[in-house]
Amino acid sequence: MKDSVRKQYLASITDKFVRGQLGRREFLRAAGKLGLGAGALGMGFGNRPFGAFSSARAAEELTPNPEILKWLADVGKPFAGTTLKLATESTPPSNAINGQLKKYFEEATGIKVEIEVLPLEQVLQKLTLDVASNLGTYDLYYIDQSWAASFSQDVFDPREQYSAKADLAMPNYNLDDFLPALVDGIAKYEDRWVGVPYDIPIFIMIYRKDIYDKLSLKAPETIEELYTNSKIITDEMGPKVYGTTGQMKSGHYSLECDWTAWLWGHGGSIFGPDGKFTGNDEKGVAALEYWTKLKATMPPGVDGWTWDGQGQSVAQGVAASMLSWGEFFPYFDDPTQTKVSGLCEVAVPPRAMSLRTVKETGYGEIPGVGHQGGSSLAVSRYSKSPDAAWIFMQWATCADTQALITTLGGGTGPTRASVYDDPRVLAQARVGAGTTRHLPVVRETIAKHMGSEPDLPEWAQLSSDTIPVSLGKYFAGSYGSPKEALDDIAKQVGEVLKG
Amino acid sequence: MPQSKSMRIFRTLAGWLVVAFFFFPIFFWTSVAFRDAKDIFSWPPKFFEFEPTVRNFEQVFGISLGFGFGTQETVNPGGGNFYMAPRLWDSIVVASMSTVLAIMVATLAAYCLSRMQFRGRHEFVNWVLSTRMMPPVAVAIPMFFIFKQLNLLDTYLGLILVHGLMNLPLAVLLLKSFFDDIPAEIDESALLDGASRWTIFKRIVLPMAKGGIAASAVLCFIFSWTEFLFALTLTQTGIKTVPVVSSTFVTSIGTAWGNMAALGAAAIVPAFIVVLLVQRHLVRGLTMGSLKQ
Repeated sequence: MKDSVRKQYLASITDKFVRGQLGRREFLRAAGKLGLGAGALGMGFGNRPFGAFSSARAAEELTPNPEILKWLADVGKPFAGTTLKLATESTPPSNAINGQLKKYFEEATGIKVEIEVLPLEQVLQKLTLDVASNLGTYDLYYIDQSWAASFSQDVFDPREQYSAKADLAMPNYNLDDFLPALVDGIAKYEDRWVGVPYDIPIFIMIYRKDIYDKLSLKAPETIEELYTNSKIITDEMGPKVYGTTGQMKSGHYSLECDWTAWLWGHGGSIFGPDGKFTGNDEKGVAALEYWTKLKATMPPGVDGWTWDGQGQSVAQGVAASMLSWGEFFPYFDDPTQTKVSGLCEVAVPPRAMSLRTVKETGYGEIPGVGHQGGSSLAVSRYSKSPDAAWIFMQWATCADTQALITTLGGGTGPTRASVYDDPRVLAQARVGAGTTRHLPVVRETIAKHMGSEPDLPEWAQLSSDTIPVSLGKYFAGSYGSPKEALDDIAKQVGEVLKG
Repeated sequence: MPQSKSMRIFRTLAGWLVVAFFFFPIFFWTSVAFRDAKDIFSWPPKFFEFEPTVRNFEQVFGISLGFGFGTQETVNPGGGNFYMAPRLWDSIVVASMSTVLAIMVATLAAYCLSRMQFRGRHEFVNWVLSTRMMPPVAVAIPMFFIFKQLNLLDTYLGLILVHGLMNLPLAVLLLKSFFDDIPAEIDESALLDGASRWTIFKRIVLPMAKGGIAASAVLCFIFSWTEFLFALTLTQTGIKTVPVVSSTFVTSIGTAWGNMAALGAAAIVPAFIVVLLVQRHLVRGLTMGSLKQ
């Protein structure tokens, strides 16, 4: 059977099994015909604590492509017995690899992989220590897009690795398959690739179709429409249900994420071409005024929430829409976790009033309402086993593994174009846990609406401390006006940049 | 003076109110451990009316409790190697061994500081005190480099040493105050009777200071049990203590509050058992010195 036909068939029976249209016995029999091993018969697994793995359970039966496993076995032989270490945030791709996929890599190559899962700021702490010490404690780096500039000299450029070591190059790895917008937004600093795009949480519009229909509203196409819709809902249904919600916790990076979406959406930018802060110009002030107005349509606790609280406010039916990470959508669709399964729909982010071009900004900032998070995976320059790490990295980010991650991990947007069209991924596009039905919108957002933060070494401090602390103070009433708050931020940013 | 009935009722009610106030966070946190996501985040919040589940415990510990209202399926929340049973064991080993280490060294040091006169004694005590004022992060990073060179990163020995050292100043100061409360005349009488310093320490002073040692040990154990910074910086995948694992429930798409609460509720138990075991001595220790001669 051709591999593509096999995948189609497998996807189809998996989907039927998940929907309950195929019994366990029939599913196993059909899976057996496809040559799934004894390991595939262990059906006792459950849900991830927060939805990421609450995907189609039967999808666990999907295994890596045998040709890739054969390549791993051949190329990995000299490195058998090596142990690789990676510190990563708990993200859908990392958890899918750590929990369900790395065993295939380890069995094929004899290389052991230890994945340390930590909250994002602790990953940064560990990597900083590793880089400062040059000790090579970790072989692979998980690099959040806001750290790309800081770590750009501490990792190998994957293009150089691929061309320099032909004997280790995975056939059909295809670096061109990575979505170009993501390479620019996440993985590139100046002319270097700082790893390859690994995951891509991105802002999309998620809204309660039932509430929108009830009030004869349509998905907001513009930023102004988002406000109008949200106000109508809050006026009609508040305080039980609010029109929209936010991730506005004072002093937290999430507040900065929200800010940039509105800033870019109003035609503003964080920096100008001269490298000076421009968030306090006319457009920046208009954005903060809009945001202040929009906040009045949000639930009262919003300035204490990060994306977690924001997501829960939709999941619990308190808010009717959110402009936030698409990764949440499969969680919302999971009937065992939320009250809104099947009630939410997705749309691309509301259109910006105007947008600056990259040339009109500084430090490679890309304006766009679809604020992009995301991270890259890279091999550390200080690794004691860079070749083994490079083999693992290629496997973890190749199209086949990414398709498995997407079907198992559910939610995160694939970073390769081909994965969006993979039959295994398409088969999951139905209402329910681990859905992929939001991915077409994610793909369109990446292509047309993506906003990306600037790349500069000071950005980690500015985005996680300076800016969100002052914005928090603004919403707490410490400044007399939006202009005063933004001017103060401009002053602080200037001081940080001066060093 | 006998209390009036209304006063007694008032005192009882006030007592229960205080207990309820301080117990509520533990009750609420534990109740979260028995809820599924829908009940944890329900709005308005539910305090009592929810369907209990043991799923969070099953997920965190990777076991099947097999109750009717639970699930027999289990997963690994950290995504591979974070089942909590071995991690609880890591915490137990590190906390208990570092406590033993700290108490052993501190008892001898504190006795010397309490009984022996030597030049710089007061300065030494002040220096011990000053180490408690130093922010741990100031030493965590140099410690990382040293431990890497000594191959102590990610080992029980490394973390036991660090936690032992971290607790040492506190234990020395506490024990010194307990030894100070034991009259020096007892030592002097024994010396006159021909007992050696070591015999006096072992046979006379140590038994009398049992309560103080127990109190100090409990504090050392709890500090080690809850310590986060060193445990995070000096470990990787080999060893993980409870606070570090607890932080891994903060994921890129939200916090697994149910799992975190289950782990938190379970993590109270060993510390609670330690306190129970030494409770008798603890009460004596904490009140030592309250009645002076």
